[in-house]
Amino acid sequence: MALGEVLDPTAVRADDDGSPGPAAGPLAGKTVGFRLDEIWRAWDWVVDLWAAELVAAGARVRRWRSHQGRTGEAGARIAQELEAFIDEIDVAVVGLGNCGSCTGWTIRDALACAAAGLPTTAVCTAAFEELGRQLARHGGRAGLRIHVLPYPLNERAREEVEAVARAHFPGLLATMGAELAPAAAAVAR
Amino acid sequence: MNAPRRIPPYRPRPEREVVARDCGDVACDLDWLSSPRHSAEVDDVMAFTRWAMERGFGDGLPLIPPTEARVRAFLAGSDRYPDEVICTLPPANGECTVEKIAINAVMAGAPPESLSLLIAALEALADPDFELFGLNTTTAPVVPLLLVNGPIRHRLGIPHRHGCLGGEATQAVAIGRAIRLLMRNVGGQVVGVTSQSTFGTPGRVAGILFGEWEERSPWPPLAERRGVAGDAVTCFGAMGTQNVLDTTSRRAVEFLEMIGKSAGYVGCNGLSPAMPYAELLIALNPVHAELIHREIPDLAEVQELLWRFASLPADWLTPAHREQLEAQGRVIDGRVYLCVEPKDVLVVCCGGTGGLHATVFHSFGSCIAQTRRVRPDPRLA
Repeated sequence: MALGEVLDPTAVRADDDGSPGPAAGPLAGKTVGFRLDEIWRAWDWVVDLWAAELVAAGARVRRWRSHQGRTGEAGARIAQELEAFIDEIDVAVVGLGNCGSCTGWTIRDALACAAAGLPTTAVCTAAFEELGRQLARHGGRAGLRIHVLPYPLNERAREEVEAVARAHFPGLLATMGAELAPAAAAVAR
Repeated sequence: MNAPRRIPPYRPRPEREVVARDCGDVACDLDWLSSPRHSAEVDDVMAFTRWAMERGFGDGLPLIPPTEARVRAFLAGSDRYPDEVICTLPPANGECTVEKIAINAVMAGAPPESLSLLIAALEALADPDFELFGLNTTTAPVVPLLLVNGPIRHRLGIPHRHGCLGGEATQAVAIGRAIRLLMRNVGGQVVGVTSQSTFGTPGRVAGILFGEWEERSPWPPLAERRGVAGDAVTCFGAMGTQNVLDTTSRRAVEFLEMIGKSAGYVGCNGLSPAMPYAELLIALNPVHAELIHREIPDLAEVQELLWRFASLPADWLTPAHREQLEAQGRVIDGRVYLCVEPKDVLVVCCGGTGGLHATVFHSFGSCIAQTRRVRPDPRLA
């Protein structure tokens, strides 16, 4: 047995901005952008309900649908669309992290929104929360706001998903650091 | 008060045309190797492996301690700077330098002469169009397959004949393992954390690394068809291997029908609404390749037939599945195609002369295969 020196095989990114970024603040009059995908119908149902609540509170809502093809010509087109989406909104809600690669792209797109200075919240299901947080850290922004929905979600009936969305709306607002007008806040409660 | 900032000593870099930039396998006036050092057991492989596993450096198999002498010996005679950044590897986005490649290759037991191949493979894997980020984090059982072309197959013992996908005693296993260790140690791929692969795949231990049997292929080598002649490596996001047995067919089109129809199964990634496009890699054994070529010499025609056969009638899918694909515009004349175009079906010739079998590699989906030239290594001249 002899001790000696070995070289470290790892190379982990060290820089990190632990800040969650700016809070969304009062939402009335602001444009809240929801990033959708082409996989999870349950996420569409959740966003429909949350969007209705936000519109009722005086916010505007913009939806943008990403997809899993982020390479080649399709990837270039999606990147342009994401840039345009970021330009048109004041607050970003990005989802849905509900599988490995789609959590990856959810976090990547959320980091792009956050890097543009937008108050940004990513949404993941519970099974993919840890992955989401790890990817945010590896992306240099460990403090990224992440709201967590229950898992499994996409396998539930629409009524069940809408009940989840309704129950999670106040929690979403808290994660976003958002405020509704008093009347709308009472409705949300 | 803050500590005074330390300015690193000036290190003049040799001119780029200098070929041998290493310092030999013992020592060096300039400390080229910048990785942190750890004190560890270096004479006992099993003790070192336990130590490395405790720190998350390992894969479960025995590891060779990457001592300074071993890493220097690995780099000795190569024409690469240890601090050259080849790429960053997701999801951790660690900088993959030549030094990190050497350290992990030493741990894997890869031969020093494989450095150029490793670098070319990593360059291919890191191309944004390969989408390594999604591949490394996905729930899918996907692993980057590495297909080698050119004379380097013989110099490094890359398997391309019988049992080329596994079983041959060759150092290629260690080369593939080096890539996998880099995914862990530089890419930060951790099972159940940053990698959500539901089942994983055996290929995530030592990779899938094989060559094309160019000498028996009736068509030009795959890399040459993709614009890179000679030594080259092509990476492909492979969802494991699927065998196709055919003891019945006689005509070329019959073989292609069997292979294409076997490839087009409902649950493959290419037919999922979650993946808007996908490639397909078909490995034909030399006997079948020759039979097919005799009747259909034009490879583009072979690709088109495989593409047509690798499709399904849309009404065979479940309604919910079909609706999603219809919404994506992927139902064409009542059929759904695994690949968008015939060119997305890649064909290679390899495997044993017993014939009978073909291998289908489904792709993850959005990972587009990449090919890179392998720079000549002075040690293989």
